[in-house]
Amino acid sequence: MRRSFLASLVLALAGCGSTGGELLEFDAYAAGPEGRTAGEPYTFVTDRGYEVTLTTAKLHIGAVYLNQSVPTSVSSDTSCYLAGQYVAEIAGGADVDLLDPGLQPLSARGFGTTERAKTAEIWLSGGDIDADVDPTVIARVEGVATRGAETFPFDATITIGENRALEPSDPAQPGARPICKQRIVSPIEIDLRPEAGGSLVVRVDPAGWFDNVSFDELEQVDDSPPLYRFRDDSLDQPSRNLFNGLRANSGVYELEWVP
Amino acid sequence: MRRWSSLSLSVALAAALAPRSALAQPLPAEPHPPNDPTDAPPPAGATPPKVKTSAEPQYPPGRLSDEHHHHDPLPELDVEIEVTIDETGKVIGAKVLASGGADFDAEAIEAAKAFTFEPATEKGKPVRSRFHLPFHFEPPPHAEPEVVEVVGKRPPPTRGAGDYRIDVGNLAIVPRKSAAELLKLAPSVFLLKDGGGEGHADRVYLRGFDAREGQDIEFTVGGVPMNDAGNYHGNGYADLNFIIPELVTRLRVLEGPFDPRQGNFAVAGSADYELGLDRRGLTAKATYGSFNTARLLMLWGPDGQSPRTFAGAEIFRSDGFGENRESWRARAMGQFEGRLGNDASFRISAGGYATQYESAGLLRQSDVDAGKVDFFGTSDANQGGSAARFHLSADFEVKTGETTYGLQAFGVYRSLSLRENFTGSLLDEQLPRQELHGQRGDLLDLQTTAGTFGLRGYGRHSFEVLGLKQDLELGMFARGDLVSALQQRVGADTDDPYLTEADLDSKLADLGLYADAAVRFTKWLTLRGGVRVDLFAYDVQDNCAVTDVSRPSEDDPPGDASCLSQQRFGDHREPNQHSTTASIRPLPRVSLLLGPFAGFSFSAAYGQGVRSVDPSYVTQSVATPFAAIDAGEVGVSYAKSFELATLGVQSVFFATHVDRDQIFSETEGRATLAEGTTRAGWAGSVRSTGDFFDLSASVTLVQSRFDDTGLLVPYVPDVVVRHDGALFHDLFPIAGSPVSGKLGIGASFVGERALPYGQRSDVIFGLDAAVSMAWRFLELELAGTNLLNLEQKQAEFNYVSDFDATNPATLVPARHFAASQPIGVFGSISGTLGGDR
Repeated sequence: MRRSFLASLVLALAGCGSTGGELLEFDAYAAGPEGRTAGEPYTFVTDRGYEVTLTTAKLHIGAVYLNQSVPTSVSSDTSCYLAGQYVAEIAGGADVDLLDPGLQPLSARGFGTTERAKTAEIWLSGGDIDADVDPTVIARVEGVATRGAETFPFDATITIGENRALEPSDPAQPGARPICKQRIVSPIEIDLRPEAGGSLVVRVDPAGWFDNVSFDELEQVDDSPPLYRFRDDSLDQPSRNLFNGLRANSGVYELEWVP
Repeated sequence: MRRWSSLSLSVALAAALAPRSALAQPLPAEPHPPNDPTDAPPPAGATPPKVKTSAEPQYPPGRLSDEHHHHDPLPELDVEIEVTIDETGKVIGAKVLASGGADFDAEAIEAAKAFTFEPATEKGKPVRSRFHLPFHFEPPPHAEPEVVEVVGKRPPPTRGAGDYRIDVGNLAIVPRKSAAELLKLAPSVFLLKDGGGEGHADRVYLRGFDAREGQDIEFTVGGVPMNDAGNYHGNGYADLNFIIPELVTRLRVLEGPFDPRQGNFAVAGSADYELGLDRRGLTAKATYGSFNTARLLMLWGPDGQSPRTFAGAEIFRSDGFGENRESWRARAMGQFEGRLGNDASFRISAGGYATQYESAGLLRQSDVDAGKVDFFGTSDANQGGSAARFHLSADFEVKTGETTYGLQAFGVYRSLSLRENFTGSLLDEQLPRQELHGQRGDLLDLQTTAGTFGLRGYGRHSFEVLGLKQDLELGMFARGDLVSALQQRVGADTDDPYLTEADLDSKLADLGLYADAAVRFTKWLTLRGGVRVDLFAYDVQDNCAVTDVSRPSEDDPPGDASCLSQQRFGDHREPNQHSTTASIRPLPRVSLLLGPFAGFSFSAAYGQGVRSVDPSYVTQSVATPFAAIDAGEVGVSYAKSFELATLGVQSVFFATHVDRDQIFSETEGRATLAEGTTRAGWAGSVRSTGDFFDLSASVTLVQSRFDDTGLLVPYVPDVVVRHDGALFHDLFPIAGSPVSGKLGIGASFVGERALPYGQRSDVIFGLDAAVSMAWRFLELELAGTNLLNLEQKQAEFNYVSDFDATNPATLVPARHFAASQPIGVFGSISGTLGGDR
């Protein structure tokens, strides 16, 4: 009788219960916009009325993070990390062909918890998010933009390093604009809960990069054939807006949990 | 402990004093088997030794302290001791021929050693001889105890089955790295090193509490408090490394806050170490072994003094069992116990301890799997620490009529330096007012110094009602602490502090009054308990109260300084903030004791406890927050002395609720307040001692859950199993002196521990053993730890860290662990001059 009671107690206690949540590993992919054929040019019309046809669109994703919190306001917080708890990460990215709607695996497996995620971050870096210099090509685009009779064959190569460093607007706050903030697309609104056996898909629509770009302000770098080129810095309007489009937290990046 | 002649002990001294030549004989040229007393007459021309002065053993005080036994049949039994007498008539050795149990044997041996003799002679020359001393123990008559001699202090009465009185005894042979590991002799206790290093306090688990470095257990050594009140790393941090294990004779582990004498930090319970040294003479011990570990130990037990008069000193160093684990340590302890007349005794004790050590810290499992760091490696070689402790204590106890008074004064100085990095390079937030910087590393550098002084005293009165003895004790405890704490972050590349996280100067006071009564209704029913009232007062100077200012002065921005002198658009203010507060907490505690009935005793206990908070949580004029504890248990114990062995068994069901638990925060590097938790479980233990063995085993099953969510409290093991065993016997003689051998085995099993995010840790199994052989004044010992050489993780955690700043950060929880020591082998040689060897 007593032995059976003790045995029951052991069974009741040992291994029973949980601290809540679960850790899991998952696969992660990136892809271009859906509904297209891989390898074919991607044509779209921007908010400024340009019809853009991309023949090359590549993006280097450094890492992807999911967070359970939504920032409530814009604050002076200059930390590269969100205040809330991160629930999933893919701490390694890939060069993604955005003209290919097929799933392209990221270089690292995802790790996370089963907590619900409300925001996401895309890190556009080759490694250290705080490095002053990072030669990694984050984005590379080629294409043609037309508006009426105007035609702008263009290309752009975007890196994020000293060329994107911002001077502090207030000398009393020299650390208000760290380079890490230039490398992070955040917060991207999502609502998903990682589950065992599923995978994360990041779809990137490069059309959103060009929404505010005025191609007619681009510098022409070649006459024959004509070629307009975005600067790899933020010193002119089109280049600055393309970079801002690259870092837009809505309309460009969509994250989906695929069971 | 007192010598009560009427308690007694009717020592069969008459037997010893009367002509008992048949019991004594000169040592023969050809040695007799040690346990082969002969009744043969001494050889011609030989005379046996004669008793010059005798001594009486006391009835084991641990039995007497269990006062509900006073009216019940305490065992009446005999112990026979064989003493070896040298040519001067001095007793140089004593061993048990007929055991009455470990505690009776110890008292009998102590008395036997106090005998002096006219030496035996052979052909007119003094020679060595053996003599048998039979002692008869009778429980004392209850009515009128008569004090004839006062030595030691009387232990507090039992609170039930969960009140464990542990004689280390022969289980001292079981390998233990520290005095903290002696706690494993009590059920429910589990210890581990969580990567903090050799000099870091052990992490202690008790009855479903993750007591961290002692924050939930009130530790005392001979009544001197061990917990560091106000320690920023963990309020109640208790570093037991200053205790020399060989100087621990007994422990009282009371699992639960059931005794009004228990004060602050008695959340899961309390543990009191009683120091002493049975071996008299000057002993030197040298140890060398794995990991280039070397230890020198000196122990001195002056002849003619009680076992509680001793001195000991030790020097230790080791490379450690992996990268960045080197350590150095020195410690010394001493105590003198004396008498003032027949009714009073006093003790003066002092100790000093210093250590410096490196620590490997915690490793990310993924880094080990990827080969970035070895299993026994480190992710940050700047981790380590140092500590020092010095204490002085004096206590006095006197009996006047039916009242006993006691007073103890103590003073402690301690310092602690910890360098720990749990999170790698993750927490160095870029603030707008700071110059641009990347992650400079999360290495924590905590420096604390503290001075403690205090008093404890009591008056205990006994009287009779309805023919039954009743007791009332009134007591007080007063403790003051002056504590300073500075915690900074140190740059990984520069080793310079770049951020001050805390800079506190605190004055803490804890004053407690208690009343404790024993009300005996019948011979078998006792209600014991009372109430304790504690006042906690804080006076905290936060030297770094202002760490951020949203709109700093444009003309004179504060820059990178941590502790700011600006607020609201640059208005000046000093960076400090002064806060004082106080609060009172009454703590009722009661135990109901029934029995014994045929050796079985039943008990039920309820008590409330308290744990103060660290000074960082103090706010001006807001009542001092503290954790309140409610605990209860029901248990049964069985004690019986058989012809060949004594047996003690306990079984306890328990439950404890704490309204503010403490959970370790990896980001803050310390224990922080969390939600309320409740744990419930069962603990069973058994210990049996005999002529040649001493065996102890315990099993604990427990679950701890958060009150609000019902989820498991992380890091607490569900199952803890422990076994300690010792075998000892004389093996063979050499040159007429026996070679005695000992074998000790310790085995631990710790079940899976709940980890955050629904994870479970690995189980832990440890097997340690030691063998020793002693001959005359020499002793050789060989000890092995983790004999199965299992590659195990001691502590396991799930939290966020990033130890590779060059790659994308790792920001989700991941498994971390501290490696357990691989197999270690250590050899010792010791020699004793003088004393009983």
